[in-house]
Amino acid sequence: MDAREDQEDVERVLAGDISAFERIVLRWQKPLVNLAYRFCRDRSRAEDMAQEAFLRAFRGLKGWRRDAAFSSWLFAIATNFYRSEMRRIPEGMVPLDSIEGRAALNAGLIELNDEDRGRAVRRAVSALPRKYKDVLVLFYFHEMDVSAAARSLGLPEGTVKARLSRGRKILRSRLPQFLGELILEEAQ
Amino acid sequence: MKPDELDRVFSNESEIVPSSGFARSVMAAVRSEASAPPPIPFPWKRAMPGLLACVVAIVWGVVDVFRYPSRGSGSVAQTTMTHWIDGVVPLLDKARMFGAEWVLLGLLLTYAGLKLTWHLAGRRM
Repeated sequence: MDAREDQEDVERVLAGDISAFERIVLRWQKPLVNLAYRFCRDRSRAEDMAQEAFLRAFRGLKGWRRDAAFSSWLFAIATNFYRSEMRRIPEGMVPLDSIEGRAALNAGLIELNDEDRGRAVRRAVSALPRKYKDVLVLFYFHEMDVSAAARSLGLPEGTVKARLSRGRKILRSRLPQFLGELILEEAQ
Repeated sequence: MKPDELDRVFSNESEIVPSSGFARSVMAAVRSEASAPPPIPFPWKRAMPGLLACVVAIVWGVVDVFRYPSRGSGSVAQTTMTHWIDGVVPLLDKARMFGAEWVLLGLLLTYAGLKLTWHLAGRRM
């Protein structure tokens, strides 16, 4: 993505040419919708959330300081909104204490492919405390770039690293249970 | 599951493509937002007399409390307070001779004016 194009389009919008905002939308719609999707796991809701994020960006366009990249500013606005939206209406929570799932896993019934493991990991992430979940979502969304995740979340890099480490630890301890649940579901 | 495996699972997440009408829908919302009338500003001119009256009443009340401290029944705490106030009252009386309440009011108004100016200037930057 070309940062100069963003800047030119922003200048045009601020000068009154609203149609220039469409180029910004077209350029950033996919990342913003995908980021929303990683938070809510619902395609339709992700689009609604991304639309509201674009609207907020449009309203606050004057507030973009040119010392930061437009994309960082846009992601920070979107992340902030997505997090508050998920606090307002959380995605469907998965119960944490499924003893049967753990038992099935321990019984050695595991023959899971990559897709199943991916599903189990995503479920386990959904059930994480929000502060760890948000950091994990942003870290992987930004292709494992800690500083980009920190900018989007408005947190110091040290905090992001600490939460990342703790989040992964919790994830590893809880994952067997989610894998077991998946096996049970498939067996039924 | 090892950290590498976690990385692999997350990095291989499939991406979704926004629906074909998404950009159009966003732009419709943006245009509707842009054509909406600006929000009604807070009526400072109308509110100012009321705010001033509040500030004057508060200053008056504070001064009054310090000038007539010994009203009501006298508990231990009140007696201690009265002693403390007895020391302060002469100072306040002296300050009043020089119009301290007006100076205080002036300072409060200046502060409010400055805050308002910063707020308005900050909104336009």
